[in-house]
Amino acid sequence: MSADYATLLPEIFLAVYAMLALIACVYTGKDEVAPTLVWVTSAVFAAVAVWILLSEDGTRLAFDGMFIDDGFSRFAKVTILLSAAIVLLMSRTYMAARDLLRFEYPVLITLATVGMMVMVSAGDLIVLYMGLELQSLALYVVASLRRDSIRSTEAGLKYFVLGALSSGMLLYGASLTYGYAGTTSFEGIVLAAAAGQDIGIGLLLGLVFLLAGLAFKISAAPFHMWTPDVYEGSPTAITAFFATAPKVAAMALLARVTYGAFGSVVDDWQQITAFLAVISMFLGSIAAIGQTDIKRLMAYSSIAHMGFALVGLSAGTVQGVQSMLIYMAIYVTMNLGAFAFILSMEREGRHVTRIDGLSMLSRKEPLKAFALLILMFSLAGVPPLLGFFGKFATFAAAVDAGLWWLALLAGIASVIGAYYYLRIVFMMYFGSEDTPRIDGAMNMTHWLVLMGSAAIMVVGIVNLFGIEGAAASAALTLVP
Amino acid sequence: MEPDTDSTLILIAALPFIGALFPGLMIRAGRTACAVSAGAATLAALVLLVTLMPSVLHGDGVAAGLDWMPQLGLQLSFRLDGLGLLFAFMILGIGLLIIIYARGYLSREDPMGQFYTYLMLFQGAMLGIVLSDNILLLTVFWELTSLSSFLLIGYWKHLPEGRQGARMALTVTGLGGLALIGGALLLGRIAGTYEISEMLAMRDQIQASPLYLPALILILLGAFTKSAQFPFHFWLPHAMAAPTPVSAYLHSATMVKAGLFLMARLWPVLSGTPEWFYIVASAGLITMVLGALIAIFKHDLKALLAFSTVSHLGLITMLLGFGTEAAAIAAVFHILNHSAFKAALFMTAGIVDHEAHTRDIRRLGGLMRLMPITALIGTLAALSMAGIPLLNGFISKEMMLEEASHTYWMGNEWLIPVLATLGALLSAAYCFRFIAHTFGGRVRTDYPHVPHDPPGVLWLPPALLVVLVVAIGVAPALFAGWLVDASASAVTGSDVHTHLALWHGITPALFMSGIAVAGGLLLLALFGPLGRTWDRTPRPEAKRMFDGVIAGAVRAANGVADGLHDGRISRPFVVLTLAVLAAATGAFFRGGHEGPQTEMLPVGGLDVTVWALLITASAAAVSFHRNRLIVLISMGIIGLVVSLAFVRLSAPDLALTQVSVEVVTIMLMLIALHFLPKRTPLESPVLRRWWHGMIAAAGGLGVGALSYLLMLGDTAKISPYFLENAKSGGGGTNVVNVILVDFRGFDTFGEIIVLGIAALTIFAIGEALLDGRASRRLANWRDDVPRSKDRHPLMMVVATRVMMPIAIMVGVFIFLRGHNQPGGGFIAGLVIAIALLMQYMASGFAWSQERQKYPYHSMIGMGVLIAALTGIASWFAGYPFLTSAYTYVHFRPIEEFEVASAIAFDIGVLLTVVGAVMLALYSLSRLARRTGETVNEEAMDYDPAGPSGAGEKGAR
Repeated sequence: MSADYATLLPEIFLAVYAMLALIACVYTGKDEVAPTLVWVTSAVFAAVAVWILLSEDGTRLAFDGMFIDDGFSRFAKVTILLSAAIVLLMSRTYMAARDLLRFEYPVLITLATVGMMVMVSAGDLIVLYMGLELQSLALYVVASLRRDSIRSTEAGLKYFVLGALSSGMLLYGASLTYGYAGTTSFEGIVLAAAAGQDIGIGLLLGLVFLLAGLAFKISAAPFHMWTPDVYEGSPTAITAFFATAPKVAAMALLARVTYGAFGSVVDDWQQITAFLAVISMFLGSIAAIGQTDIKRLMAYSSIAHMGFALVGLSAGTVQGVQSMLIYMAIYVTMNLGAFAFILSMEREGRHVTRIDGLSMLSRKEPLKAFALLILMFSLAGVPPLLGFFGKFATFAAAVDAGLWWLALLAGIASVIGAYYYLRIVFMMYFGSEDTPRIDGAMNMTHWLVLMGSAAIMVVGIVNLFGIEGAAASAALTLVP
Repeated sequence: MEPDTDSTLILIAALPFIGALFPGLMIRAGRTACAVSAGAATLAALVLLVTLMPSVLHGDGVAAGLDWMPQLGLQLSFRLDGLGLLFAFMILGIGLLIIIYARGYLSREDPMGQFYTYLMLFQGAMLGIVLSDNILLLTVFWELTSLSSFLLIGYWKHLPEGRQGARMALTVTGLGGLALIGGALLLGRIAGTYEISEMLAMRDQIQASPLYLPALILILLGAFTKSAQFPFHFWLPHAMAAPTPVSAYLHSATMVKAGLFLMARLWPVLSGTPEWFYIVASAGLITMVLGALIAIFKHDLKALLAFSTVSHLGLITMLLGFGTEAAAIAAVFHILNHSAFKAALFMTAGIVDHEAHTRDIRRLGGLMRLMPITALIGTLAALSMAGIPLLNGFISKEMMLEEASHTYWMGNEWLIPVLATLGALLSAAYCFRFIAHTFGGRVRTDYPHVPHDPPGVLWLPPALLVVLVVAIGVAPALFAGWLVDASASAVTGSDVHTHLALWHGITPALFMSGIAVAGGLLLLALFGPLGRTWDRTPRPEAKRMFDGVIAGAVRAANGVADGLHDGRISRPFVVLTLAVLAAATGAFFRGGHEGPQTEMLPVGGLDVTVWALLITASAAAVSFHRNRLIVLISMGIIGLVVSLAFVRLSAPDLALTQVSVEVVTIMLMLIALHFLPKRTPLESPVLRRWWHGMIAAAGGLGVGALSYLLMLGDTAKISPYFLENAKSGGGGTNVVNVILVDFRGFDTFGEIIVLGIAALTIFAIGEALLDGRASRRLANWRDDVPRSKDRHPLMMVVATRVMMPIAIMVGVFIFLRGHNQPGGGFIAGLVIAIALLMQYMASGFAWSQERQKYPYHSMIGMGVLIAALTGIASWFAGYPFLTSAYTYVHFRPIEEFEVASAIAFDIGVLLTVVGAVMLALYSLSRLARRTGETVNEEAMDYDPAGPSGAGEKGAR
């Protein structure tokens, strides 16, 4: 019993921290202490990440396997915690300047993070749903944090309504699975969906609905429709959060369900994830071409990137999971840098997100422009930058699993998608002279994140910072 | 064939990158020091290359490698063979000349450190391409050239025409490069290795693979875009806004030849098939003729040279496409020759531009007298390009014509020779025009700036190249034979010994050459009228087409994005529903079900009636959905029918719960409707409503079909487990209740907390509405429907008051029997809440409120607390949270009944439910008060003891 709690200690610690912080703030300075709380929360995230990193290897099960602490979940948790910590730090000045820095904000982010940590450790449909909803509910609220803006409220409301629908589908799938497998635990479902046999229509339908619900959370097309609106409507700092940690968590959760619960019937879900991958890649790449708002563009870009990660996931092999983890880690790093820049886009003190604003940035801010150029090339998957290796790993995994056509389509999609990244680069170096251009200065945190992220894209090509080995051992714990 | 291993090769590949570090630092020491630092690295690499030369010319080349990411197949492996040597010489040699030239060319305002850094980066990337022995490594360097060339082309950002060019160059070559990666991966997949040297031995295996064609197309896309082959030829001339040293280096000598290099490198495995011939040779032929034709009529010197480059690249591509050994030799030789004379020509054009401040050929002429050195260099280089004997261009052009003269295209023996001659003719024409209109003619007086010969630093580099042009032209075997042999051997994979010579006797090629030169002179003579005709002829403008394509693509992309996404929330619903329906249908057919397995329950007349009622009510809800009152009533009917269905299917618990929940929610919603518009506005057109209706119907039918299938399916049921364990594990025979308070007690605990929070949230929101704008709207409330005059009908008041104790008794009864028979805390709570609700509705809120002793908030809190304490109590008994203990109590009037610890938990549930419902009502009534709803003064409180018999006044 106490061993169960010991396994959950990081999550419990964070949950208690969130509640205590909430109460403490209510009874002290409320919003006045918010900046401090942001710092403390970031530090706590980082500390928990280090804690998890230093915890001993091996797989530990808690509550009869409902909660799994293994290499895979630790990899995902560290990625989630660190990216959440960085996003929090980046958001501080942005939120403060727009009078959005309420003390609930770091608390909600903490709760969402706890939810994500539970998600990636889920070994049971109920734990899965609990984690997912804890995360989603916190995110619904932060999406509409700017209550006096119609856009933001509309975004939050849309997100909530569609999210509720997807949760409903997920639950429908979960109950079908439970009904036919007779159990909600992943271990039990694996037994019910034994390899080599027909898993039966009940479980298959359960799987379909589960995947539909999860696809919504990773914003894979055709379940992506909330993404552009929410990315655009939410305060940019929140958008940065949306684009990073929750994506990792949902992707890891998807891997848990597919490889964990349905690991013996790869054929049955491979088609679905591959289909989602193709639609996401193409839709994300094509729809982004015409966007004029950089947040909307990043929304479509994230849809496409989820498609690429799904390509790896669809492989159904250890290599596939490994490539997906590498891809997500690289993707998050790139996005942090990109959003650090987007957060600092200002003109005459107002936040602007039009791409035109980047015109001729290279002349005024050559270093920033160059860093963004590296990030954009990396996002486009141009070698030798790190983004290429992420893409390459997923393509190779798909090819080795015999999914030729998928890798080929992914290649075509990445060519199409490169166009809009190049367009941003083009704007910065050759944009027109007479559009209103951004003129804001960058604060230290944003600058550091931008430069750090760009530097990683270049330096990382030497050995990917050893992340490959970590991802490989993480993948091995998920796929026996 | 094992090459020597020599790590010098890695040093050579690294030197330009190391050299890229210095210019930025050295610029502080002066512009010359900066140029020298860049040049020194290049020179060092060149010298090291010369030391490796013997083992390439007389051995099997040099190889060296390091592990990079072996698991990805990516190796840092380099190999130097003849082809690599030829290109490396060109890259480093011309690179060195360009570095010198740029020192003189760039003005004082240009940031020179930056320029040399980019240039060295580019040089390193280019060198990497030609030295890579790993095709993935090659693509890595390939993209690096795109990146660094982008920086170089964009070097002069202030020139507006440069931007369009840079964009086109970046888009076309960038996308082509990504296609190449795809091709490289495919090729590596077919061969099972990414090492080029191993791949080259697998010709048959690769050409037999079904993936050969896709791989070929992707690789050729990369090569054609980089080398500006038709139909991608348009970007190169537009990239000419770059500084001339860049044009000379990238756009004539090196980068645009990367595509040719790739085709030559993979020639042994890819060439020789009909696909290769028809794609490569045709594209090359078209490019050659088209490029030459356009070049004649260009007035900008650099544009003329750019199109001539396009034309010559086409020529080489065509030769590679022929797939014969002799053609490959000619191709390799022409690569070398073209680099020499074209780089010289670009530098000449740069000098003219630098001196005369214009590149417009119409404003030039007569420069022969003003700048004789430059004129000599330019004329010799141009004559070589035109294919005049004793210059190097003549020899390779002869070889090309010779090959063309006996190549058939689709069985036609005339097509290729005639077009090749035409290409040569046009080529000669623009060369003559370049000479005649720039240097020839009379000295003019209207140059923007009077030109004269530049300092040596500018003219020496092209002069050196022209010396080479002449030397090879006079004694080809001596000056180029060995290099051509080596590289042609590397391309063809066999040992080649050429006999390059000036004179091959009277051959068809000589005739064709003669025709070309004569025709070229004729064209020059007729240039005036021809030029005017050309200007009048409408022709497709590549730039406009490119812009059109881009605009079209953006429009199409927007079409996709907006088509899917119009901002309305109904659109995502449609997409989501359709996607799930499609997926479920797919799963249905894939799953292979066996049809109904169990008997259907008998369907009686009552069933059909009730079912018809359900359908009618649903249809009514949809049809009249704009009238919200009707919708609420229909929903009430639906809820009741559903609870009847539960009764029919032997689930009395669910039925009880459903009924009471239904009643409570409908009542609360009716009250809430008071504050809302009574009708839903009409938002969507008829067609869309029908469309949405169809989708909804499809979804409904899908779910229905699924339920039918699942309920009649033969599956292991989970219910027996609970039936068996309810009594033994939870001490109750009512399985539903035992599940709620015991098996899943923790869930229930969570749920009542949620319920409590929901009620508190309703309260908080309600309170917030009593402030600010919403409050003012409430204060000015106008009822949109007439109100009843008799607000508290006597009959109803009496009835509810009489009902009250009975209802409470029913609640208690349901509560107590809950553990074994249908009932329980949740339902009991709802029943009691309904009883209280009735009082509020009948007698008015204030009246009831006065008689309410305990605030609802604390009721919720108490409920949650009791439930929590019950759970915690089991800890003290040493069991997990919420383990229930039970015993049987004999209490005289009620017979035996069971007391489980769960009953305390159930009390918590009851309190929370009552508190939550009432708190919601309380919030709504506070809103009503704000709208001017008066306190019920005339309540039916007749106090017989009162002197006047008047009712007690309701306070406040």
